[in-house]
Amino acid sequence: MTALARRAGPVLLLLLLWQLAATATGGQFLLAGPAEVAAWLSDNPGLVGRALSVTLASAAWGFLAGNLAAILLVAAAMLWPPVLGLLTGLALIVFCLPLIATGPILRVMMGPGDGPQVVLAALAVYYTTLIPLLAGLRAVPSAWIDLVACLGRGHLAQLVHVRARAALPYLVAGMQIAAPAAFLGAMVGEFTGAERGMGVLTVRFIRDLNTAALWSLASIAALVSIAVYLGVGAAGRFLRLERPPVILAPPRLPQGSAGRRLGRAVLLAGATLVLWWGGMEALGLNPFFAKRPPDLFAALFLAPDAGATWQALLQAAAQTAVFVLPGYLAGLALGTGLAVALSLVPALSGLVTPLAIALRSVPVVTTAPLVVLLLGQGALGTIALVALMVFFPTFVACQHGLQQAPGQILDILRSHGAGRVPQMRHVRLPAMLPAFFASARMGVPAAILAVTVVEWLATGRGLGNLMTLSASLSDYTMLWLTVVLVTLASVLCHGGVAWIERRVLRLYAPEQVEG
Amino acid sequence: MPDSASLSITCAGLTKIHDNGVAAVDALDLRFEAGRTTALIGPSGCGKSTLLRLVAGLDRPTTGTVGIAGLPPVQQARRGVISMAFQDPSLLPWLTLRKNVALARKLARQPADPRLVDELIALVGLEGFQETRPAALSGGMRQRAAIARALATRPQVLLLDEPFGAVDELTRRQLARDLPPLWQPLGTTTLLVTHSVDEAVLLADRIVVLSPRPARVVADLPVPLPHPRLPQLTETPAFRRIAARALQALAQGVGDNPALAAQ
Ligand SMILES: Nc1ncnc2c1ncn2[C@@H]1O[C@H](COP(=O)(O)OP(=O)(O)O)[C@@H](O)[C@H]1O
Ligand SMILES: [Mg+2]
Repeated sequence: MTALARRAGPVLLLLLLWQLAATATGGQFLLAGPAEVAAWLSDNPGLVGRALSVTLASAAWGFLAGNLAAILLVAAAMLWPPVLGLLTGLALIVFCLPLIATGPILRVMMGPGDGPQVVLAALAVYYTTLIPLLAGLRAVPSAWIDLVACLGRGHLAQLVHVRARAALPYLVAGMQIAAPAAFLGAMVGEFTGAERGMGVLTVRFIRDLNTAALWSLASIAALVSIAVYLGVGAAGRFLRLERPPVILAPPRLPQGSAGRRLGRAVLLAGATLVLWWGGMEALGLNPFFAKRPPDLFAALFLAPDAGATWQALLQAAAQTAVFVLPGYLAGLALGTGLAVALSLVPALSGLVTPLAIALRSVPVVTTAPLVVLLLGQGALGTIALVALMVFFPTFVACQHGLQQAPGQILDILRSHGAGRVPQMRHVRLPAMLPAFFASARMGVPAAILAVTVVEWLATGRGLGNLMTLSASLSDYTMLWLTVVLVTLASVLCHGGVAWIERRVLRLYAPEQVEG
Repeated sequence: MPDSASLSITCAGLTKIHDNGVAAVDALDLRFEAGRTTALIGPSGCGKSTLLRLVAGLDRPTTGTVGIAGLPPVQQARRGVISMAFQDPSLLPWLTLRKNVALARKLARQPADPRLVDELIALVGLEGFQETRPAALSGGMRQRAAIARALATRPQVLLLDEPFGAVDELTRRQLARDLPPLWQPLGTTTLLVTHSVDEAVLLADRIVVLSPRPARVVADLPVPLPHPRLPQLTETPAFRRIAARALQALAQGVGDNPALAAQ
């Protein structure tokens, strides 16, 4: 009973605050409260039910396909370890593809059916499964491997008896993040011109400026996401799986010299081009919408209007960067700051943590229209949305990281009478760093997704706008250029964060850089 | 039963230089007779674990060779005749104690033998904990479980790396009495790494005292005491005489090292 009250308390508080805000602003800020949402839902149960079932189906298929792809890729890397670096590199590139631009391209390729939603849902999930799974398969104490080896068995027995089971908690933790992401991917897919589903309704009600309907749809999306997040977590507890320490840290590859690293980057770029070009040729895709690398090269360097193309791209990129950077940094800072603050004042954490864990799984992007409605089309709305998108995963990861602090070392500090602040500085913060950097890395594509969605749905600026404009004008060259630009920027920023991470960890947590 | 064919172990010019340039074992020539138990004692960090890993085929020598009955360790490992208990018990946390012990047989491609598994568990004093997971066992209990696991394959080569480090003194003496009768009838060639001179004398037929890194042989002492060796044996003059000589050799090995002598 008290446990139930503890969980229900924060939720009731949130509902109350929400209703108060709605009543207080009285429609001025286009804020619909829980009462209005409930009323709208009870008036339109059929409409919402049908849309929800369509979107859920797409999300479920995408979830299955994305996870299956991740598991197969990981199996390949385990059987043939040299491809690991290339594989994770390619996986990252695909993960950094801007959904907003790949959506319309998939749409022309696959027609008006459910195809693009399913593919986008799969794209949204496979990376958050792939990386934890790899981490889990490799994060096995060397003594376990020795045990297998000294009994005369090799890689297969390692995989079957040790690694597979050791990776299971990581797989479930990855799927827990993936499940709401699949829903998000399906909705974004529907934004790009589907016929049915929650995304279609959202776009329609944005046009009608139907606040109650928009808040209802966002609430449903949030509830569904929270439900699947909690559902997968419950499944993990049912299987009595332990919680893995850090799940979204990509595998550490041997560093080698600068030359070796450059070689790997060139190999990755080459493989990407080959897959891109070769894939299109192999599938015989229509060159009108399936642009090959030489088409883009021509548009940038040979075409008479190359100058205008550059200008359009760079201008849009600059407009986007101005919003995405502050939002990203603010999200990281707030997430980390709140986690640290709650760890120093644990009394508050009982109230905030359940809320944050629930809200973390909310597909923030699906609330984009609302945030822009609330905060306006100016800089604040966009930055706030990007920050929100980064905030929740960072907060949850950092909080988990802070709890990873080795208890024995904390006991030693306590025995010397060290208070919370020295404990934080010497033990908890270093223990938190890997989780922080994992979320900083994953936050890069998330922030770009958020900003492009807002630009497209609301503000009409930047790369998101350029993408949707190009898509509606069937200017596929420009659309592909934006895809390449955004992907490249994401991958480079991701690499930049990883570079900082290595440097910082070497200073503050050297044991976590080894191996 | 292939068990009856005991295997001798020969190290010739065995050298291991780790990747970081540390020479852990340097030009070691040693022969371990088939079916005998040899205790290796030496200061910590002298290369004992490295030596055991080389014999198990887990590490490759930088130069020199290890032969188990004339074959390379890796080849013998594939036959499932080697078993090792590690310094860190490294039980799989998701398996119950019974399944952890049984896993060794599965990995060595031996038929399941629940009776043997339960016998071994009882013998290391863990009866009643068969269905317990490692997290709920104490450090000493986990080490005993690891010993049971190492014995579960009825190995012909048994490598024990400080297997009693976390076991309390009384249990340790019981184990010293109960364990050798388990492997002696199998003709198992056993290498036991330990820090405790008493433990070495209780368990082994021979004690090899090693110098600080890189490990060289300082003394090679026979232990001509009859089995079973009951705990009271530690109080007898014969026992104390051997223990004293081993201790003396240990100290001498440290003194021989100019770097340590200077400290
Ligand atoms: N994998 C390794 N890489 C580098 N150095 C190692 C490795 N394993 C052991 N060493 C070093 O080799 C020496 C001998 O180690 P070890 O064989 O574990 O000693 P012992 O078991 O006698 O305490 C030590 O100085 C240790 O630091
Ligand atoms: Mg050792």
